[in-house]
Amino acid sequence: MKQIRRILRLYRIFIGQHLKRLMEYKVDFLAGAIAFLLGQLINILFINIIFSQIPTLAGWRYEEIVFIYGFSLIPKGLDHLLTDNLWKVGWFIVRKGDFDKYLTRPINPLLHVIMEEFQVDAFGELLLGIVLVSMMWQKVNMHLSFIEAVLFVGVILFAALIYTGLKIISSAIALWIKQSGQIMQIVYMSNDFAKYPTTIYNGLIRSIITYILPFAFTAYYPALYFLTKKDPLFNLGGTVIASIILFAVGYKVWCRGLKAYESAGS
Amino acid sequence: MKKKLKIYLPFTRAGIQRMMAYRMNFSLFFIGESLYCFVMYFLWQAIFNANHTERFMGFTRLEMVLFVFLSNIITFLVNSDMMEDLGTEIKDGSIIMRMIKPINLDFSFLFMELGTKIVILIGIGLPIVLGLEIYRYCMTGCILFDIGRFLLFLLSTILGYWISFYLNLCFGFMAFFFNNIWGFSMLKQALLKFLTGSMIPIAFMPALLQKVLNLLPFASMSYTPVMIYIGKYDRLQILQSIGLQLIWVIIIYGLSRAIWKIATDHLTVQGG
Repeated sequence: MKQIRRILRLYRIFIGQHLKRLMEYKVDFLAGAIAFLLGQLINILFINIIFSQIPTLAGWRYEEIVFIYGFSLIPKGLDHLLTDNLWKVGWFIVRKGDFDKYLTRPINPLLHVIMEEFQVDAFGELLLGIVLVSMMWQKVNMHLSFIEAVLFVGVILFAALIYTGLKIISSAIALWIKQSGQIMQIVYMSNDFAKYPTTIYNGLIRSIITYILPFAFTAYYPALYFLTKKDPLFNLGGTVIASIILFAVGYKVWCRGLKAYESAGS
Repeated sequence: MKKKLKIYLPFTRAGIQRMMAYRMNFSLFFIGESLYCFVMYFLWQAIFNANHTERFMGFTRLEMVLFVFLSNIITFLVNSDMMEDLGTEIKDGSIIMRMIKPINLDFSFLFMELGTKIVILIGIGLPIVLGLEIYRYCMTGCILFDIGRFLLFLLSTILGYWISFYLNLCFGFMAFFFNNIWGFSMLKQALLKFLTGSMIPIAFMPALLQKVLNLLPFASMSYTPVMIYIGKYDRLQILQSIGLQLIWVIIIYGLSRAIWKIATDHLTVQGG
Protein backbone atom coordinates (compact mmCIF):
# COMPACT_ATOMS: atom_id res chain seq x y z
CA MET A 1 0.00 0.00 0.00
CA LYS A 2 2.77 2.35 0.99
CA GLN A 3 4.57 1.30 -2.14
CA ILE A 4 1.59 2.19 -4.33
CA ARG A 5 1.15 5.54 -2.66
CA ARG A 6 4.80 6.31 -3.27
CA ILE A 7 4.48 5.42 -6.95
CA LEU A 8 1.37 7.53 -7.37
CA ARG A 9 3.11 10.47 -5.76
CA LEU A 10 6.10 10.03 -8.05
CA TYR A 11 3.80 9.77 -11.06
CA ARG A 12 2.19 13.08 -10.13
CA ILE A 13 5.60 14.71 -9.94
CA PHE A 14 6.76 13.21 -13.24
CA ILE A 15 3.61 14.35 -15.01
CA GLY A 16 3.95 17.80 -13.52
CA GLN A 17 7.45 18.03 -14.91
CA HIS A 18 6.32 16.73 -18.25
CA LEU A 19 3.45 19.20 -18.49
CA LYS A 20 5.85 22.06 -17.78
CA ARG A 21 7.90 20.93 -20.75
CA LEU A 22 4.73 20.80 -22.85
CA MET A 23 3.80 24.34 -21.92
CA GLU A 24 7.06 25.49 -23.46
CA TYR A 25 5.88 24.28 -26.84
CA LYS A 26 2.10 24.32 -26.44
CA VAL A 27 1.21 25.27 -29.99
CA ASP A 28 3.44 22.52 -31.26
CA PHE A 29 1.75 19.88 -29.13
CA LEU A 30 -1.70 21.10 -30.01
CA ALA A 31 -0.66 20.68 -33.63
CA GLY A 32 0.42 17.13 -32.80
CA ALA A 33 -2.97 16.25 -31.28
CA ILE A 34 -4.83 17.71 -34.27
CA ALA A 35 -2.51 15.74 -36.56
CA PHE A 36 -3.48 12.42 -34.98
CA LEU A 37 -7.15 13.39 -35.12
CA LEU A 38 -6.92 14.33 -38.81
CA GLY A 39 -5.04 11.14 -39.62
CA GLN A 40 -8.03 9.15 -38.37
CA LEU A 41 -10.64 11.47 -39.90
CA ILE A 42 -9.24 10.71 -43.35
CA ASN A 43 -10.04 7.04 -42.78
CA ILE A 44 -13.57 7.93 -41.69
CA LEU A 45 -13.99 10.00 -44.84
CA PHE A 46 -12.79 7.01 -46.80
CA ILE A 47 -15.37 4.75 -45.13
CA ASN A 48 -18.04 7.30 -45.99
CA ILE A 49 -17.00 7.33 -49.65
CA ILE A 50 -17.04 3.54 -49.78
CA PHE A 51 -20.55 3.36 -48.36
CA SER A 52 -21.83 5.99 -50.75
CA GLN A 53 -21.44 3.24 -53.37
CA ILE A 54 -22.07 -0.05 -51.62
CA PRO A 55 -24.70 -1.05 -49.02
CA THR A 56 -22.60 -3.48 -46.96
CA LEU A 57 -18.95 -4.39 -46.66
CA ALA A 58 -18.20 -8.05 -45.95
CA GLY A 59 -21.70 -8.25 -44.51
CA TRP A 60 -21.42 -5.21 -42.23
CA ARG A 61 -23.45 -2.02 -42.41
CA TYR A 62 -21.90 1.45 -42.37
CA GLU A 63 -22.83 2.04 -38.74
CA GLU A 64 -21.25 -1.20 -37.63
CA ILE A 65 -18.02 -0.58 -39.52
CA VAL A 66 -17.72 2.89 -37.98
CA PHE A 67 -18.48 1.42 -34.56
CA ILE A 68 -15.67 -1.11 -34.94
CA TYR A 69 -13.35 1.61 -36.19
CA GLY A 70 -14.18 3.92 -33.30
CA PHE A 71 -13.81 1.10 -30.81
CA SER A 72 -10.32 0.35 -32.15
CA LEU A 73 -9.20 3.91 -31.42
CA ILE A 74 -10.02 3.82 -27.71
CA PRO A 75 -7.50 1.20 -26.49
CA LYS A 76 -5.02 2.52 -29.02
CA GLY A 77 -5.36 6.05 -27.70
CA LEU A 78 -5.24 4.88 -24.10
CA ASP A 79 -1.94 3.10 -24.63
CA HIS A 80 -0.64 6.04 -26.66
CA LEU A 81 -1.52 8.39 -23.79
CA LEU A 82 0.21 6.41 -21.07
CA THR A 83 3.18 4.51 -22.49
CA ASP A 84 4.46 6.59 -25.37
CA ASN A 85 7.90 6.97 -23.85
CA LEU A 86 8.66 3.36 -24.87
CA TRP A 87 9.03 4.64 -28.44
CA LYS A 88 11.90 6.82 -27.31
CA VAL A 89 13.60 3.79 -25.74
CA GLY A 90 13.36 2.01 -29.10
CA TRP A 91 14.46 4.98 -31.17
CA PHE A 92 17.14 6.80 -29.24
CA ILE A 93 17.25 6.64 -25.45
CA VAL A 94 19.39 3.48 -25.48
CA ARG A 95 21.39 4.48 -28.53
CA LYS A 96 22.35 7.84 -27.10
CA GLY A 97 23.35 6.29 -23.79
CA ASP A 98 20.59 8.06 -21.86
CA PHE A 99 19.15 4.78 -20.61
CA ASP A 100 21.63 4.61 -17.74
CA LYS A 101 19.68 7.09 -15.70
CA TYR A 102 16.76 4.67 -15.31
CA LEU A 103 19.06 2.09 -13.80
CA THR A 104 20.46 4.38 -11.14
CA ARG A 105 17.16 5.34 -9.54
CA PRO A 106 15.32 3.52 -6.74
CA ILE A 107 12.32 2.67 -8.89
CA ASN A 108 11.52 -0.11 -11.35
CA PRO A 109 13.08 1.02 -14.67
CA LEU A 110 10.08 -0.04 -16.76
CA LEU A 111 7.72 1.85 -14.49
CA HIS A 112 10.03 4.84 -14.60
CA VAL A 113 10.14 4.89 -18.40
CA ILE A 114 6.37 4.65 -18.67
CA MET A 115 5.61 7.18 -15.93
CA GLU A 116 7.96 9.78 -17.26
CA GLU A 117 5.62 10.92 -20.03
CA PHE A 118 2.00 11.57 -20.61
CA GLN A 119 1.39 11.94 -24.32
CA VAL A 120 -1.32 14.52 -24.82
CA ASP A 121 -1.32 13.93 -28.59
CA ALA A 122 -3.30 10.81 -27.83
CA PHE A 123 -6.37 12.87 -26.96
CA GLY A 124 -6.99 13.27 -30.69
CA GLU A 125 -7.45 9.53 -31.19
CA LEU A 126 -9.12 8.95 -27.85
CA LEU A 127 -11.74 11.64 -28.33
CA LEU A 128 -12.55 10.62 -31.88
CA GLY A 129 -12.90 7.00 -30.79
CA ILE A 130 -15.32 7.91 -28.01
CA VAL A 131 -17.30 10.24 -30.29
CA LEU A 132 -17.63 7.61 -33.04
CA VAL A 133 -18.67 4.87 -30.63
CA SER A 134 -21.26 7.07 -28.94
CA MET A 135 -22.58 8.35 -32.27
CA MET A 136 -23.12 4.81 -33.49
CA TRP A 137 -24.33 3.46 -30.14
CA GLN A 138 -28.04 3.92 -30.90
CA LYS A 139 -27.74 3.07 -34.57
CA VAL A 140 -26.27 -0.37 -33.94
CA ASN A 141 -28.91 -1.05 -31.26
CA MET A 142 -26.42 -1.37 -28.47
CA HIS A 143 -28.10 -2.45 -25.25
CA LEU A 144 -25.82 -3.47 -22.44
CA SER A 145 -26.76 -4.96 -19.12
CA PHE A 146 -24.79 -3.81 -16.10
CA ILE A 147 -22.41 -6.75 -16.32
CA GLU A 148 -21.90 -6.18 -20.04
CA ALA A 149 -21.13 -2.54 -19.42
CA VAL A 150 -18.46 -3.57 -16.93
CA LEU A 151 -17.09 -6.01 -19.51
CA PHE A 152 -17.10 -3.24 -22.11
CA VAL A 153 -14.89 -0.98 -20.01
CA GLY A 154 -12.78 -3.88 -18.78
CA VAL A 155 -12.05 -5.26 -22.22
CA ILE A 156 -10.87 -1.84 -23.39
CA LEU A 157 -8.29 -1.82 -20.61
CA PHE A 158 -7.08 -5.30 -21.51
CA ALA A 159 -7.00 -4.34 -25.19
CA ALA A 160 -4.80 -1.36 -24.36
CA LEU A 161 -2.53 -3.78 -22.50
CA ILE A 162 -2.08 -5.73 -25.77
CA TYR A 163 -0.60 -2.61 -27.32
CA THR A 164 1.56 -1.99 -24.27
CA GLY A 165 2.80 -5.58 -24.14
CA LEU A 166 3.84 -5.53 -27.79
CA LYS A 167 5.50 -2.16 -27.34
CA ILE A 168 7.46 -3.37 -24.31
CA ILE A 169 8.70 -6.44 -26.18
CA SER A 170 9.71 -4.54 -29.29
CA SER A 171 11.29 -1.63 -27.43
CA ALA A 172 13.21 -4.02 -25.14
CA ILE A 173 14.99 -5.37 -28.24
CA ALA A 174 16.88 -2.08 -28.21
CA LEU A 175 18.52 -3.18 -24.95
CA TRP A 176 20.42 -5.76 -27.01
CA ILE A 177 20.82 -4.08 -30.39
CA LYS A 178 20.74 -0.38 -29.29
CA GLN A 179 17.96 0.66 -31.65
CA SER A 180 14.70 -1.11 -32.34
CA GLY A 181 12.50 1.76 -33.51
CA GLN A 182 11.98 0.22 -36.95
CA ILE A 183 10.96 -3.12 -35.48
CA MET A 184 8.55 -1.34 -33.15
CA GLN A 185 7.17 0.50 -36.14
CA ILE A 186 6.46 -2.72 -38.05
CA VAL A 187 4.82 -4.34 -35.02
CA TYR A 188 2.80 -1.25 -34.15
CA MET A 189 1.67 -0.44 -37.67
CA SER A 190 0.10 -3.90 -37.93
CA ASN A 191 -2.70 -2.46 -35.81
CA ASP A 192 -4.04 -0.88 -39.02
CA PHE A 193 -5.34 -4.32 -39.90
CA ALA A 194 -7.46 -4.43 -36.75
CA LYS A 195 -9.71 -1.52 -37.65
CA TYR A 196 -11.74 -3.47 -40.19
CA PRO A 197 -13.50 -6.84 -39.90
CA THR A 198 -10.91 -9.59 -40.09
CA THR A 199 -13.14 -11.46 -42.54
CA ILE A 200 -11.91 -9.23 -45.39
CA TYR A 201 -8.37 -10.62 -45.10
CA ASN A 202 -6.98 -13.91 -46.33
CA GLY A 203 -6.21 -16.75 -43.93
CA LEU A 204 -2.56 -15.89 -43.46
CA ILE A 205 -3.11 -12.29 -42.41
CA ARG A 206 -6.09 -13.30 -40.29
CA SER A 207 -3.95 -15.81 -38.37
CA ILE A 208 -1.16 -13.29 -37.88
CA ILE A 209 -3.41 -10.61 -36.42
CA THR A 210 -5.24 -13.15 -34.28
CA TYR A 211 -2.43 -15.30 -32.92
CA ILE A 212 0.93 -13.62 -33.49
CA LEU A 213 0.37 -9.87 -33.27
CA PRO A 214 -3.12 -10.16 -31.79
CA PHE A 215 -4.35 -6.70 -32.74
CA ALA A 216 -7.65 -8.22 -33.87
CA PHE A 217 -8.39 -8.65 -30.17
CA THR A 218 -8.03 -4.92 -29.60
CA ALA A 219 -10.94 -4.06 -31.85
CA TYR A 220 -12.75 -6.43 -34.14
CA TYR A 221 -13.30 -9.40 -31.83
CA PRO A 222 -14.48 -7.49 -28.75
CA ALA A 223 -16.61 -5.20 -30.90
CA LEU A 224 -18.02 -8.30 -32.59
CA TYR A 225 -19.11 -9.60 -29.21
CA PHE A 226 -20.96 -6.41 -28.29
CA LEU A 227 -22.58 -6.23 -31.74
CA THR A 228 -23.72 -9.86 -31.86
CA LYS A 229 -23.42 -11.07 -28.25
CA LYS A 230 -21.93 -14.30 -29.55
CA ASP A 231 -18.90 -16.28 -28.46
CA PRO A 232 -17.81 -14.28 -25.39
CA LEU A 233 -15.23 -16.91 -24.53
CA PHE A 234 -13.25 -16.31 -27.71
CA ASN A 235 -14.08 -12.67 -28.42
CA LEU A 236 -13.58 -11.30 -24.91
CA GLY A 237 -11.61 -14.12 -23.31
CA GLY A 238 -9.11 -13.98 -26.15
CA THR A 239 -8.46 -10.31 -25.43
CA VAL A 240 -7.85 -10.97 -21.76
CA ILE A 241 -5.59 -13.98 -22.36
CA ALA A 242 -3.63 -12.31 -25.17
CA SER A 243 -3.00 -9.20 -23.09
CA ILE A 244 -1.90 -11.14 -20.01
CA ILE A 245 0.44 -13.35 -22.03
CA LEU A 246 1.92 -10.41 -23.93
CA PHE A 247 2.41 -8.36 -20.81
CA ALA A 248 4.03 -11.25 -18.94
CA VAL A 249 6.30 -12.08 -21.86
CA GLY A 250 7.04 -8.38 -22.30
CA TYR A 251 8.10 -8.01 -18.69
CA LYS A 252 10.29 -11.11 -18.91
CA VAL A 253 11.96 -9.90 -22.10
CA TRP A 254 12.47 -6.47 -20.59
CA CYS A 255 14.13 -7.92 -17.47
CA ARG A 256 16.36 -10.13 -19.61
CA GLY A 257 17.21 -7.06 -21.66
CA LEU A 258 18.20 -5.14 -18.55
CA LYS A 259 20.60 -7.95 -17.65
CA ALA A 260 22.11 -7.96 -21.12
CA TYR A 261 22.21 -4.18 -21.37
CA GLU A 262 25.56 -2.53 -21.89
CA SER A 263 25.59 1.20 -21.91
CA ALA A 264 26.12 2.88 -25.24
CA GLY A 265 27.19 6.11 -23.63
CA SER A 266 30.69 7.39 -23.31
CA MET B 1 27.23 24.33 -65.26
CA LYS B 2 30.02 21.76 -65.19
CA LYS B 3 31.73 23.57 -62.38
CA LYS B 4 28.45 23.70 -60.46
CA LEU B 5 28.02 19.94 -60.82
CA LYS B 6 31.53 19.40 -59.58
CA ILE B 7 30.70 21.34 -56.45
CA TYR B 8 27.43 19.59 -55.69
CA LEU B 9 27.96 16.01 -56.86
CA PRO B 10 29.95 15.12 -53.73
CA PHE B 11 26.75 15.89 -51.79
CA THR B 12 24.93 13.32 -53.91
CA ARG B 13 27.66 10.79 -53.26
CA ALA B 14 27.39 11.51 -49.54
CA GLY B 15 23.62 10.99 -49.79
CA ILE B 16 24.08 7.62 -51.48
CA GLN B 17 26.64 6.56 -48.92
CA ARG B 18 24.44 7.64 -46.05
CA MET B 19 21.54 5.67 -47.49
CA MET B 20 23.68 2.59 -48.06
CA ALA B 21 24.98 2.76 -44.52
CA TYR B 22 21.42 2.77 -43.18
CA ARG B 23 19.88 0.49 -45.80
CA MET B 24 18.74 -2.09 -43.25
CA ASN B 25 17.11 0.58 -41.11
CA PHE B 26 15.47 2.13 -44.11
CA SER B 27 14.15 -1.17 -45.47
CA LEU B 28 12.55 -1.99 -42.12
CA PHE B 29 11.10 1.51 -41.93
CA PHE B 30 9.72 1.12 -45.44
CA ILE B 31 8.05 -2.19 -44.54
CA GLY B 32 6.46 -0.67 -41.45
CA GLU B 33 5.12 2.27 -43.38
CA SER B 34 3.88 0.11 -46.24
CA LEU B 35 1.84 -2.36 -44.21
CA TYR B 36 -1.27 -0.25 -44.57
CA CYS B 37 -1.11 -0.87 -48.35
CA PHE B 38 -2.10 -4.44 -47.63
CA VAL B 39 -4.98 -3.24 -45.47
CA MET B 40 -6.09 -1.09 -48.40
CA TYR B 41 -5.56 -3.92 -50.85
CA PHE B 42 -7.87 -6.26 -48.95
CA LEU B 43 -10.31 -3.47 -48.28
CA TRP B 44 -10.56 -2.76 -52.00
CA GLN B 45 -11.03 -6.45 -52.77
CA ALA B 46 -13.89 -6.53 -50.27
CA ILE B 47 -15.38 -3.37 -51.74
CA PHE B 48 -15.32 -4.75 -55.28
CA ASN B 49 -16.73 -8.06 -54.04
CA ALA B 50 -19.60 -6.19 -52.39
CA ASN B 51 -20.15 -3.95 -55.37
CA HIS B 52 -20.91 -6.77 -57.84
CA THR B 53 -19.61 -4.63 -60.70
CA GLU B 54 -16.05 -4.24 -61.80
CA ARG B 55 -16.09 -0.46 -61.50
CA PHE B 56 -16.01 1.78 -58.45
CA MET B 57 -16.48 5.48 -59.25
CA GLY B 58 -14.73 5.00 -62.58
CA PHE B 59 -11.86 2.86 -61.30
CA THR B 60 -11.45 -0.84 -62.04
CA ARG B 61 -10.23 -3.33 -59.47
CA LEU B 62 -6.84 -3.56 -61.17
CA GLU B 63 -6.44 0.22 -61.32
CA MET B 64 -7.20 0.49 -57.63
CA VAL B 65 -4.57 -2.12 -56.72
CA LEU B 66 -2.01 -0.28 -58.86
CA PHE B 67 -3.08 2.99 -57.29
CA VAL B 68 -2.58 1.75 -53.72
CA PHE B 69 0.92 0.36 -54.22
CA LEU B 70 2.16 3.02 -56.64
CA SER B 71 0.95 5.89 -54.46
CA ASN B 72 2.87 4.45 -51.55
CA ILE B 73 6.19 4.18 -53.36
CA ILE B 74 5.74 7.54 -55.11
CA THR B 75 5.09 9.15 -51.75
CA PHE B 76 8.39 7.71 -50.55
CA LEU B 77 10.20 8.94 -53.65
CA VAL B 78 8.66 12.37 -53.63
CA ASN B 79 8.58 13.05 -49.92
CA SER B 80 11.39 15.30 -48.81
CA ASP B 81 12.57 15.09 -45.23
CA MET B 82 15.49 17.45 -45.48
CA MET B 83 13.47 19.96 -43.50
CA GLU B 84 13.92 17.83 -40.42
CA ASP B 85 17.67 18.07 -40.87
CA LEU B 86 17.27 21.76 -41.41
CA GLY B 87 15.20 22.04 -38.24
CA THR B 88 17.84 20.24 -36.18
CA GLU B 89 20.59 22.33 -37.72
CA ILE B 90 18.72 25.48 -36.86
CA LYS B 91 18.14 24.27 -33.31
CA ASP B 92 21.71 23.24 -32.61
CA GLY B 93 23.19 26.09 -34.58
CA SER B 94 25.19 23.99 -37.02
CA ILE B 95 23.27 25.67 -39.87
CA ILE B 96 25.87 28.39 -39.62
CA MET B 97 28.47 26.00 -41.07
CA ARG B 98 26.42 25.76 -44.23
CA MET B 99 25.79 29.47 -44.36
CA ILE B 100 29.40 30.55 -44.23
CA LYS B 101 30.47 28.27 -47.08
CA PRO B 102 30.38 29.54 -50.65
CA ILE B 103 27.61 27.13 -51.60
CA ASN B 104 23.93 27.48 -52.14
CA LEU B 105 22.07 26.18 -49.09
CA ASP B 106 19.12 24.60 -50.88
CA PHE B 107 21.30 23.01 -53.58
CA SER B 108 23.44 21.38 -50.94
CA PHE B 109 20.30 19.83 -49.43
CA LEU B 110 18.79 19.01 -52.82
CA PHE B 111 21.84 17.18 -54.13
CA MET B 112 22.30 15.32 -50.89
CA GLU B 113 18.73 14.07 -50.96
CA LEU B 114 19.05 13.21 -54.64
CA GLY B 115 21.52 10.54 -53.54
CA THR B 116 19.04 8.91 -51.18
CA LYS B 117 16.29 9.08 -53.81
CA ILE B 118 18.47 7.31 -56.39
CA VAL B 119 18.98 4.45 -53.94
CA ILE B 120 15.23 4.23 -53.19
CA LEU B 121 14.35 4.35 -56.90
CA ILE B 122 16.71 1.57 -57.88
CA GLY B 123 16.43 -0.53 -54.75
CA ILE B 124 12.70 -0.33 -54.09
CA GLY B 125 10.91 1.67 -56.79
CA LEU B 126 11.90 -0.35 -59.84
CA PRO B 127 11.31 -3.76 -58.20
CA ILE B 128 7.82 -2.62 -57.16
CA VAL B 129 7.03 -1.32 -60.65
CA LEU B 130 8.25 -4.60 -62.09
CA GLY B 131 6.13 -6.53 -59.59
CA LEU B 132 3.06 -4.48 -60.46
CA GLU B 133 3.64 -5.05 -64.17
CA ILE B 134 3.85 -8.80 -63.57
CA TYR B 135 0.67 -8.58 -61.50
CA ARG B 136 -1.02 -6.61 -64.28
CA TYR B 137 0.11 -9.21 -66.81
CA CYS B 138 -1.27 -12.05 -64.68
CA MET B 139 -4.60 -10.25 -64.30
CA THR B 140 -5.14 -9.16 -67.90
CA GLY B 141 -3.02 -11.60 -69.88
CA CYS B 142 -1.38 -8.88 -71.92
CA ILE B 143 1.52 -6.50 -71.41
CA LEU B 144 0.20 -2.99 -70.88
CA PHE B 145 3.60 -1.43 -70.22
CA ASP B 146 4.14 1.60 -72.42
CA ILE B 147 7.67 3.03 -72.44
CA GLY B 148 6.49 6.48 -73.57
CA ARG B 149 4.03 6.74 -70.74
CA PHE B 150 6.62 5.40 -68.32
CA LEU B 151 9.06 8.16 -69.26
CA LEU B 152 6.34 10.79 -68.81
CA PHE B 153 5.62 9.21 -65.44
CA LEU B 154 9.30 9.53 -64.47
CA LEU B 155 9.38 13.15 -65.62
CA SER B 156 6.25 13.89 -63.63
CA THR B 157 7.71 12.17 -60.56
CA ILE B 158 10.84 14.30 -60.77
CA LEU B 159 8.76 17.46 -61.03
CA GLY B 160 6.66 16.25 -58.13
CA TYR B 161 9.77 15.75 -56.05
CA TRP B 162 10.99 19.22 -56.94
CA ILE B 163 7.75 20.80 -55.77
CA SER B 164 7.80 18.75 -52.61
CA PHE B 165 11.41 19.69 -51.93
CA TYR B 166 10.85 23.43 -52.11
CA LEU B 167 7.57 23.19 -50.26
CA ASN B 168 9.37 21.36 -47.48
CA LEU B 169 12.13 23.90 -47.53
CA CYS B 170 9.55 26.65 -46.95
CA PHE B 171 8.26 24.55 -44.11
CA GLY B 172 11.73 23.90 -42.73
CA PHE B 173 12.40 27.63 -42.66
CA MET B 174 9.52 27.91 -40.21
CA ALA B 175 11.89 26.42 -37.67
CA PHE B 176 13.60 29.80 -37.77
CA PHE B 177 10.50 31.29 -36.22
CA PHE B 178 9.12 28.50 -34.05
CA ASN B 179 12.28 26.66 -32.94
CA ASN B 180 10.37 23.40 -32.59
CA ILE B 181 8.43 21.91 -35.46
CA TRP B 182 7.70 18.35 -34.41
CA GLY B 183 3.94 18.83 -34.01
CA PHE B 184 3.72 20.85 -37.19
CA SER B 185 5.52 18.20 -39.16
CA MET B 186 3.03 15.60 -37.88
CA LEU B 187 0.21 17.92 -38.87
CA LYS B 188 1.76 18.48 -42.27
CA GLN B 189 2.03 14.73 -42.80
CA ALA B 190 -1.65 14.21 -41.96
CA LEU B 191 -2.81 17.06 -44.19
CA LEU B 192 -0.64 15.90 -47.07
CA LYS B 193 -2.16 12.43 -46.89
CA PHE B 194 -5.48 14.03 -47.73
CA LEU B 195 -4.38 16.88 -50.03
CA THR B 196 -2.04 14.84 -52.23
CA GLY B 197 -4.74 12.28 -52.97
CA SER B 198 -2.32 9.50 -52.15
CA MET B 199 -4.81 7.68 -49.95
CA ILE B 200 -8.20 8.60 -51.38
CA PRO B 201 -8.05 9.32 -55.12
CA ILE B 202 -8.99 12.93 -55.78
CA ALA B 203 -11.45 11.62 -58.38
CA PHE B 204 -13.64 10.36 -55.50
CA MET B 205 -14.18 13.84 -54.07
CA PRO B 206 -17.16 16.09 -54.81
CA ALA B 207 -16.78 17.93 -58.14
CA LEU B 208 -15.90 21.33 -56.71
CA LEU B 209 -13.37 19.98 -54.20
CA GLN B 210 -11.86 17.93 -57.01
CA LYS B 211 -11.22 21.07 -59.07
CA VAL B 212 -9.59 22.84 -56.13
CA LEU B 213 -7.44 19.86 -55.09
CA ASN B 214 -6.27 19.29 -58.63
CA LEU B 215 -5.11 22.89 -58.93
CA LEU B 216 -3.27 22.94 -55.60
CA PRO B 217 0.43 22.03 -55.69
CA PHE B 218 -0.14 18.93 -53.54
CA ALA B 219 -1.87 16.94 -56.28
CA SER B 220 1.14 17.69 -58.47
CA MET B 221 3.38 15.91 -55.97
CA SER B 222 2.20 12.32 -56.18
CA TYR B 223 -1.29 12.09 -57.65
CA THR B 224 -0.29 13.31 -61.12
CA PRO B 225 2.50 10.76 -61.71
CA VAL B 226 0.34 7.92 -60.41
CA MET B 227 -2.60 8.86 -62.66
CA ILE B 228 -0.25 9.08 -65.65
CA TYR B 229 1.14 5.63 -64.92
CA ILE B 230 -2.23 3.99 -64.45
CA GLY B 231 -3.41 5.55 -67.69
CA LYS B 232 -6.26 7.64 -66.29
CA TYR B 233 -5.09 10.76 -68.13
CA ASP B 234 -5.33 11.21 -71.89
CA ARG B 235 -2.71 13.06 -73.89
CA LEU B 236 -4.19 16.50 -73.30
CA GLN B 237 -4.60 15.92 -69.56
CA ILE B 238 -0.99 14.73 -69.29
CA LEU B 239 0.20 17.87 -71.04
CA GLN B 240 -1.94 20.09 -68.82
CA SER B 241 -0.93 18.43 -65.58
CA ILE B 242 2.79 18.45 -66.36
CA GLY B 243 2.45 22.11 -67.35
CA LEU B 244 0.79 22.79 -64.01
CA GLN B 245 3.61 20.98 -62.23
CA LEU B 246 6.15 23.25 -63.96
CA ILE B 247 4.24 26.34 -62.91
CA TRP B 248 4.18 25.16 -59.30
CA VAL B 249 7.91 24.42 -59.30
CA ILE B 250 8.57 28.02 -60.27
CA ILE B 251 6.09 29.56 -57.83
CA ILE B 252 7.20 27.54 -54.85
CA TYR B 253 10.86 28.04 -55.64
CA GLY B 254 10.22 31.79 -55.60
CA LEU B 255 8.32 31.50 -52.35
CA SER B 256 11.12 29.58 -50.67
CA ARG B 257 13.61 32.25 -51.72
CA ALA B 258 11.43 34.97 -50.26
CA ILE B 259 10.98 33.16 -46.95
CA TRP B 260 14.71 32.45 -46.82
CA LYS B 261 15.43 36.16 -47.14
CA ILE B 262 13.12 37.02 -44.27
CA ALA B 263 14.28 34.08 -42.17
CA THR B 264 17.99 34.85 -42.32
CA ASP B 265 17.26 38.28 -40.88
CA HIS B 266 15.50 36.52 -38.02
CA LEU B 267 18.10 33.86 -37.35
CA THR B 268 19.30 33.54 -33.81
CA VAL B 269 21.69 30.68 -33.41
CA GLN B 270 21.11 28.97 -30.11
CA GLY B 271 24.41 27.82 -28.69
CA GLY B 272 26.80 26.08 -31.04
